[in-house]
Amino acid sequence: MRRAFGATFILLPVFLLLALVGSSAAGLQDVVSEAVLPNGLKVLLLENHKAPVVTFQVWYRVGSRNEEFSKTGLSHLLEHMMFKGTETIGPGELSRIVQENGGQHNAFTSTDSTTYFENLSADRINVSLELESDRMQHLMLREQDFKTERPVVMEERRLRTDDNPKAIVWEQLDAIAFELQPYHWPVIGWMQDIARLTVDDLRNYYKRFYNPANAVLVVAGDFKKDELLPRIERWFGTIPKGVQPEGRVPLEEPQIGERRTVIKREARLASLVIGYHVPNLRQQDSEASQDSYTLEVVEALLGSGESSRLQTSLVRKKKLALGIGVGHSLLSKDPGLFSIGADVLPDKNVTDVEKAIDEEIDRLQREPVGERELQKAKNQLEAGFIFQQDSLFSQAMRLARYEMVLGWRAIDGYLPAIRKVSAADILRVAKQYLTPDNRTVAVLVPLPSTKAASRLPDSRAGEQAIR
Amino acid sequence: MVRYRRLRVPRWLCLSLGVATWILLSCSLLDAMAPVQRVALPNGLVVLTSEEHSLPFVTFKLLIHAGARRDPSGQGGLASLTARALLFGTLKQSMASVNEQLDFMGASLSSDAGRDYMVLSLRVLKKDLGDGFKLFMEVLSQPAFPADEVENEVTRTLAAIRASEDRPGEVAEKAFSKALYGAGPYGQPVIGTKESVEKLTVEGVRRFHGSCYDPNNSIMVIVGDIEEHALKDTIVPQLSAWKGRAAAVSAVETKPESAKKTVMIDRPLTQANLILGHEGITRDNPDFYAVTVMNYILGGGGLTSRLMQETRERRGLAYSVSSNFDAGKYQGTFRIVLQTKNASARDAIRLAVAQMSRIRTELVAEKDLDGAKKYLIGSFPLRLITQDGIAGFLLQVEYLGLGLDYAERYPKLVQAVTAEDVLRVAKAYLHPEAYILVAVANVEEAGFEK
Repeated sequence: MRRAFGATFILLPVFLLLALVGSSAAGLQDVVSEAVLPNGLKVLLLENHKAPVVTFQVWYRVGSRNEEFSKTGLSHLLEHMMFKGTETIGPGELSRIVQENGGQHNAFTSTDSTTYFENLSADRINVSLELESDRMQHLMLREQDFKTERPVVMEERRLRTDDNPKAIVWEQLDAIAFELQPYHWPVIGWMQDIARLTVDDLRNYYKRFYNPANAVLVVAGDFKKDELLPRIERWFGTIPKGVQPEGRVPLEEPQIGERRTVIKREARLASLVIGYHVPNLRQQDSEASQDSYTLEVVEALLGSGESSRLQTSLVRKKKLALGIGVGHSLLSKDPGLFSIGADVLPDKNVTDVEKAIDEEIDRLQREPVGERELQKAKNQLEAGFIFQQDSLFSQAMRLARYEMVLGWRAIDGYLPAIRKVSAADILRVAKQYLTPDNRTVAVLVPLPSTKAASRLPDSRAGEQAIR
Repeated sequence: MVRYRRLRVPRWLCLSLGVATWILLSCSLLDAMAPVQRVALPNGLVVLTSEEHSLPFVTFKLLIHAGARRDPSGQGGLASLTARALLFGTLKQSMASVNEQLDFMGASLSSDAGRDYMVLSLRVLKKDLGDGFKLFMEVLSQPAFPADEVENEVTRTLAAIRASEDRPGEVAEKAFSKALYGAGPYGQPVIGTKESVEKLTVEGVRRFHGSCYDPNNSIMVIVGDIEEHALKDTIVPQLSAWKGRAAAVSAVETKPESAKKTVMIDRPLTQANLILGHEGITRDNPDFYAVTVMNYILGGGGLTSRLMQETRERRGLAYSVSSNFDAGKYQGTFRIVLQTKNASARDAIRLAVAQMSRIRTELVAEKDLDGAKKYLIGSFPLRLITQDGIAGFLLQVEYLGLGLDYAERYPKLVQAVTAEDVLRVAKAYLHPEAYILVAVANVEEAGFEK
C-alpha cells in the first residue's frame, strides 16, 4: 500500500502492458544476460519474441533517499527536467520523436531510484539508444525551462497530495515513522523545498548522480542480444566513466514506543494507517534473511483477497471498514514499513477499527496459522508471481528493482523462500515486529465542511449555475 | 508489419455444435496475437477465443448488456449493485466459501458494471482451470443474492458515494455528466446517488438480473493457455447450458444539453478541477478516425498536444491537461480535463477555449498531422500484448461490431485522414461557443462569480 513509486511524470496512466517473458518454470538465470561496460554501465537483457515490441528502461540509482534536508524533491524535479532537451535535442523534441515512432514513454521517481522508459516496436529500438544515451550526459538545464517546470511540479503536488486527504495521511505516517532515514520526506518533496530549489541545485545533482556507473539499463523484448549489445556499446560505451556516489544513509534507531498522529482535514470518511518498522532484504544477515519473505506471507494472510483475515473481520463480519489494505515493500533499499490501512465506515468508530486490527495481529502472534490457510497465502503469492510475467514491462521493472537492492539473480530465490515459510516463522515474525512499541499510527479525523457547498450530504448540493 | 494468417476450422466446433450457427473469421490481428476464433452458441452467446501458451494461465471476460443505462427510473445504481451482488454466494454455497476457493487458487474473479454493460472476469492458473471455470459459471447462472449481503452492500455503497466526494476529479465528472444528460440514464453516476441507492432492494436486484442477464447478445472472450479439448469438453458445454429470459436491449432516449452552462462546486481546495466539454460522437460515426486524429493534436497526444504545450510547457499552469472524445455505442462526450491552482483557473479556461477555436479555423500543419498518424498507427500493437489487453480488445471489437480484421484495417483508416478532414470534424464536433464548464474549486480564490 505504501507507494514505492511516488511520482510519475506524464499525466496519463501509461499502459504498462507489454509482452510476457520466458516460461514461469525456467529460472531467470537462463534467459537474462548481464554485461558491464568498461564505463561501469550495467546492462541486463531479456529476450522474448512473443510480440514484436521492446521495453527499454534506464534506471538511475538516485531517488529521494539521496536528497537532503531542505532540498527535498530534487530527484523528481530533475526527472521532469530530463524531458527539456539536450545540446542536440530541443525542448519538447524528445516526446515528439518517441511518439512519432509509435512509442510510449514516461519516467518515474521513487525513494530509491529514477527510471526513464520507452515501450516501442522492436524495429524502433534505435530511438531509445539515441535519446537515452544522449540525456545521460548532455542534458541542458536551462533557466527558462526550469521556470516553467517548477510550477508544473507544484501543481502535481497539489493534485496528488494537497487536495487528497488520504495522501496526506500517508505522507504524515512516513514523516513520523522515519526520523533519521530520508524516507521521512515525500518523493515529490515538501512544497517549500520545491519553491526554493534552484537550477544550480539541479545541475550539481545531475553531475553527481547521472553517469553510467550509477545506472542500470534493462531491455526486454523482441531482439537478439548478440546484435543488441554491440549497439548498446556503441551508443553508451563512449560516455565517460563516472563515480557511483556513496549511497549510504542513516538508519532508524530502534523505536522505543508507539508514535501517533492526528490529521484534521475536511473529509467525508475517517481513515487510519498503521506502520510497523521492518527489516529489508538488504540489511539482514543470512540467518534472518527469511523475515522479509515471511512478511510477504503475512501480508497475503492479512490482506490479499476477499477471504483474507482483515477483509473478513473488518469489512465482512464487523462491518467497520469500507475497505482495508496491507502493504509491504519487499524491495526497498533501506528498511521500510509494514503497513495496514482502513477506511472507516460512516458512524463507525476509528477506535473500534484499530481494536479489530489489533485483534488480528494478536491472533497472528498467538495461534499458529493452519496448514490450509498458509498454503492459500503461498498459492496467492505464487500465482501473482506468474501473472506478473504477462507484462514485459513489469518483468523488466522487477529485474531492475532486484538489481538495485540485492542483484537481479535473487529473483530466482523468491518462490523457494516463500515456500519455505512456516507457521512458526509467522508467529515469531509477528511477535518480533508487529508490536505496539514499534508502530506509528496516523488517523484522519474528518472535519465538517467549511463551504456551504458540502454541508448537505446530497451530491447536488452546492452546485450553482452562475450564468 | 501486419500479416494475414489463414485459419483452419477448429474440429471441436464441428463435433460439439452441429446446430450452432457459427462464423469463423480468419484474423491474425497483428503478429503479436494468436488467431482468433469466433462462434455463436445456440443460446445466442458469442464466444471468441485466442490461444496463447507461453504462460500457464487463462483470462475470461464475459460482457452482458446489463449496464447502468438499463437502471429503472429512480433506481440509479441497480445495475452496478447487481453486478457486484453476483459474487455474494450461489444457490450451492456461501460467499465465504466461493472466496475461499478462489483465493486458494490465487485466482481473481471480478464483476462490475459500467454505463452500457457489465463484465465478469476471471484469471486463473491453467492447473485450476476446471475448478475456476466451474465457479465462474456458478456465480453467473446460480447467484443466490442473499438479502443480508445485499443490504450490507447498499450500506457500503452509500459510504463509497460519500468517500468519492473527497476526490475532486470524480465530483467534477459526476457534475459534468449530470449537466450534460440531466435526469436520463447517462446523467446519473453508475454507482447511483445517495437518494437512489437508499431505495435499492434485493427484490430489485433479482428482477434486474432476471430481465438483463442473458446469453443472447452477450459476449465471452477466452485468452491464454487453453487447448481445444478443454474448450470442447469443459468450457463450451457449460456456456451452452447457461439460460436466460432477458428482455431485448432497447434504445434509451438521450437528450444532451446543447446550451452553454456553468456549474460551480465550492470546496476548500488548492486547485480548480475543471471539465469543459459537450456532446461528442458515437463510435459508429464514420468520422471517428478523423476525430481521433484531430483530438490527438488538440489534447490527446500527451506532452506534444496543443493543450499541453500551451498550458503546461509554455506557462507551467497545470500538471495534467488533456482532451478526449469518449465515443460510446449509444452516446458520446467531448471533454477537456485539467487541474490548476485556483488563481490560474480562468486563464486555463481561456487557453483551452482558444485551442478549440484554433483547430476549427486553421488547417493543421502537415507535420502535425503526420506525427499524430504515426503515433496512432505505430503504438497500436502495444495494446495487444498481455492477456488482459487482448481480451479487452476482442470484447470491444465484438461489442462495437468492428470486425475481427479491425487491427488490420486500423492503419488504413487512420492513414486516410487529411488535414481538411481534421478541419471539417473540428468544425462539426467542437463547440467553443456552447460548452458546459464544471469547476470544483475554491470559487472565491478562483475569482469565479458566485
